[in-house]
Amino acid sequence: MPELEAALTRLGRDVEFPPTPDLASVLRGRLERPRSWRRPAAIALALLVVAIGAVLAVPPARTAILDWLGLRNVSVVRVDELPPARPLSRLDLGRQVSLAEARRRAPWLLVPDDKPASVYVSNSLPGGTVTLLWGTPSHVQLLLTEVEGMVYIEKIVQTGAEVEPVDIGRAGAWFQGRHVVMFSDRNGTFHENRGRLAASTLVWQVGDVTLRLEGRISKEEALRIGRTASN
Amino acid sequence: MRAHQGIAFRTAYLVAGNASDAEDAAQDGFVKAYRALGRFRAGSPFRPWLLQIVANEARNRRRSSGRRAALSLRAAAEESSGDAAPSPEGALLAGEDRERLLAAVNGLREEERLVIACRFFLELSEEETAAALDLRLGTVKSRTSRALEHLREAYA
Repeated sequence: MPELEAALTRLGRDVEFPPTPDLASVLRGRLERPRSWRRPAAIALALLVVAIGAVLAVPPARTAILDWLGLRNVSVVRVDELPPARPLSRLDLGRQVSLAEARRRAPWLLVPDDKPASVYVSNSLPGGTVTLLWGTPSHVQLLLTEVEGMVYIEKIVQTGAEVEPVDIGRAGAWFQGRHVVMFSDRNGTFHENRGRLAASTLVWQVGDVTLRLEGRISKEEALRIGRTASN
Repeated sequence: MRAHQGIAFRTAYLVAGNASDAEDAAQDGFVKAYRALGRFRAGSPFRPWLLQIVANEARNRRRSSGRRAALSLRAAAEESSGDAAPSPEGALLAGEDRERLLAAVNGLREEERLVIACRFFLELSEEETAAALDLRLGTVKSRTSRALEHLREAYA
């Protein structure tokens, strides 16, 4: 009888529940143990709410930190221990296509001067993802992933790892060393099978396109390649 | 996380039966969920997964603690019908009727009360209810309809 069900639903709005405690701030204390921060970036990062919140919602902390880094669609979560994640070598990059085909599908694509060895497109994220790869899928030298639109990239880094704002013609950030990367859409739905272990990464944003360049390279090398990326 | 902490806490409260266990359960659940984030399946909705972890924590606490409190109406809710012209639906379930219906819910067997509270008070989906109460989807459906049947008998 729908009437009874509707009555129960209305009744539920008047049922007393104890006020919800502020779990976010308690958890922040449990998941992060701030140390003395050497860089302003690190101070800003310490403000972030725990990973789940950062992935799932767009809390004010996210906005604050990302504005500071100049990257709207990237958030950073600092933790004592990285969550389980698969390594870079076992990636599902999507379907291999020619560079011309990738450009046709993603007119916003930016390509560095050094042309990639292979190009992949994937629809695992809304709006699609294009990945340019240098090396081979089993021996990745360099990976440039580009997404357009309201896709969030989560970077989960260990306490003490360095995250540095960099100037790549635009605002960018350099993540030194291993970290976990996850992609989520605006609703917080994850669009990769699981978190993925990433090497040092340069992240920057050009208009609505978020680019992440990842590999075993120095910051200077990453900046050099990144600066040449053009449409 | 703020988006989910309310529903997670209230689910934990229903399962654990008291606020302090619920708070502990929600906290530990969130930490565990965080640590397991890497095993989260792509594309699947987050909330059932989170609720499952939190409710499981609440169940573990429940076993070692005492009897849970009966649900009651908010004090303010008693007056709310006077604020504005009651909607036709609201008029169907004013004052005393609400008390009687809630008493009928509180009088259900625990397993049925939980299903009713999750489905209608927290407005969880059947999938979320199944995850939170660690039941199969079919069990949620059959238990809900049985509980509604019992409510109809008790409330009539």
